[in-house]
Amino acid sequence: MNDIIELKTWQGDTVAFEDAVIGSGAMKDVCFSPDRSYVIGFFREPQGPAARERLRVICEDYREGIFGQVGGDYWRELFCWPTGVVEHEGRVGVVAPAYAPQFFFEYGSANNDMLGIKGREKEGKWFASANNQARFLDPRERGDWLNYLRICMRIARAVRRMHAAGLAHSDLSYKNVLVDPRSGSACIIDLDGLVVPGKYPPEVVGTPDFIAPEVVMTAHLPHDSPARKLPCIATDRHALAVLIYMYLLYRHPLRGGKVHDPDPSQDETLSMGERALFVEHAHDFSNRIRVADARPSELPWCDTQRMPYTLTGPYLAPLFARAFTDGLRDPRARPSAEDWEFALVRTADLILPCANRGCVQGWFVFDNRRAPSCPFCGTPYPGALPVLNFYSSRHGDSFRPDDQRLMVYTNQSLFEWHVNRHLAPNERLTEAQKVRVGYFVFHQGTWWLVNERLPHCRDLSAGRDIAVGERVALRDGLQLLLSRESGGRLALVQMAGGG
Amino acid sequence: MRRLPVYLVLDTSGSMSGEPIEAVKTGLQTLISALRQDPNALESAYLSVIAFDSGARQVVPLTEVAAFQAPDIQASGTTALGAALTLLAASIERDVVKGSAEQRGDWKPLVFLMTDGAPTDNWQRGKEALDRVKIGTLIACAAGPGAKQDILRQLTESVVSLDTADASTIKAFFQWVSASVAVSSRKLDLTKKDIGGLGDLPPPPPQINVAGV
Repeated sequence: MNDIIELKTWQGDTVAFEDAVIGSGAMKDVCFSPDRSYVIGFFREPQGPAARERLRVICEDYREGIFGQVGGDYWRELFCWPTGVVEHEGRVGVVAPAYAPQFFFEYGSANNDMLGIKGREKEGKWFASANNQARFLDPRERGDWLNYLRICMRIARAVRRMHAAGLAHSDLSYKNVLVDPRSGSACIIDLDGLVVPGKYPPEVVGTPDFIAPEVVMTAHLPHDSPARKLPCIATDRHALAVLIYMYLLYRHPLRGGKVHDPDPSQDETLSMGERALFVEHAHDFSNRIRVADARPSELPWCDTQRMPYTLTGPYLAPLFARAFTDGLRDPRARPSAEDWEFALVRTADLILPCANRGCVQGWFVFDNRRAPSCPFCGTPYPGALPVLNFYSSRHGDSFRPDDQRLMVYTNQSLFEWHVNRHLAPNERLTEAQKVRVGYFVFHQGTWWLVNERLPHCRDLSAGRDIAVGERVALRDGLQLLLSRESGGRLALVQMAGGG
Repeated sequence: MRRLPVYLVLDTSGSMSGEPIEAVKTGLQTLISALRQDPNALESAYLSVIAFDSGARQVVPLTEVAAFQAPDIQASGTTALGAALTLLAASIERDVVKGSAEQRGDWKPLVFLMTDGAPTDNWQRGKEALDRVKIGTLIACAAGPGAKQDILRQLTESVVSLDTADASTIKAFFQWVSASVAVSSRKLDLTKKDIGGLGDLPPPPPQINVAGV
């Protein structure tokens, strides 16, 4: 039985911890609260006035700004946000919630957990590497591609919220984001190093795979040199693009075959900094990943011919191209977290289930072809594939395309954010708006939309209202008015697939 | 994939017999279990063990973490540190991939050397061989009062010591080695030329003294 020590936080709350270190990070030793609902991480090094002040505003002002608003509870799942600061025997400690249970391995590694990782944290590196996934993880831990899309969506959303508050994470990496591919959840941790631009000097440089080229190039300069580039929102955007690329394609966007210098350190600095080059650059092929050098467990992911980034679809692919070409040299060209969130949400509507039950990825993005097939396992999509193309009216009667489509498959749902242009699936949705309004089903050779909650649904082609509880058969060219409200949408049905 | 080669050079002379050698074996087991739970180490760290007593042998060739099997070692004989250093230099020369314009090289190796006594052979000759190969960091551990810290300090600036070579201090040493390998496998230099010695590794636990401080 460990001693239990009670403390008061600077914020005035009483907290307690068991006097036994359960884990040590790069800077802190972590102890559990007696009920295990929160932890206290004690900094090993003394914290100066600026660091103390930064911890205080993160726990007070910024916490209140994000969690204190309507819908603030939404963020509890996405951030492990510090709740208070304590001091004990001269050491400064940060109180933070314990990680949710889904972020610990339930099965761990393959072969009856040969590595002994059951119960340990799901650090992102286990999943962002093709080698780790294929060789070590229990298949039940791996999750399908749709869940990786959801993970990326949540990370992008959380980063968008931080950036909206003016905060930069400064060390976004798979180390500081817990993920659960079984449920598609993600949580940003280690938030005590947040950077408020212009106010507190950042102390970290970041984690090698994720550091922006301009930071790498100037890392040798003194910390206060005017030419030195420090972590900020623009460098977070680089890290975010790398994270999303790695979670969807299980390889690093800049680690290719090109050797810049025989010396490993020099080569590392050049390939992540001054001479950073996208492994899938449209014109410069010199940094393509050499498939011949790859370990078998890294295939097919490191084969960019077989698994090009374009398989992520029409919304994400242009963002990757921008982030890893112009964005490497020009931080202003990098897509924002909001750009990523938007593209990921739209991509989720373009996703189709793979017909091959053995396909590990299980889902893929519709590539706008008449006869789509899964890019991961090559299985053709069987049968008819209805696609809803959304239009909405800006002023008056004329409907314009919204550049948004929804793939129809069994048990696909229609939501408010499909029906109304003004809504998007994010923290601002009310509980009522999260309930589906209709669903799709294939019955006796026909695809049907069943109207569950659309009061003004109308088949414009036939001039017939579809009442709640009724259904409508989907056919090529069908025009469905889904809502008469402002921002309400019209869906034009297109039939793709083999039919 | 750039590999991080890690060499463990361990004294298995007669004075290590009993509790110390058993602690080394257990230490190697804990080290490998810990590294197997680290996704970064699994991806890039490669380990080799060189044992030395009256002679030196590479008891485990450079092996990836997932395939590493802890060797069975016994303590006997004298302390041929020179032979160990010569063999270490030859192993590095042979195993570590050198970078070229066409080929990506490995990281410069991380070496942990542990000894509990005074060298009984010409250790300077071993040092000369070692000076000819590139090493990222060499950490020398003087285990117990019999180790010659002054000699170790001529090999490297990074010398740590254990007051006694018993089970608990040796265990602590191996735990620190595993934390150091884990950190090095995910966080290699950017601001510095190489892994810069003790300062870039996790702080050693209290049982391990940083010599000269």
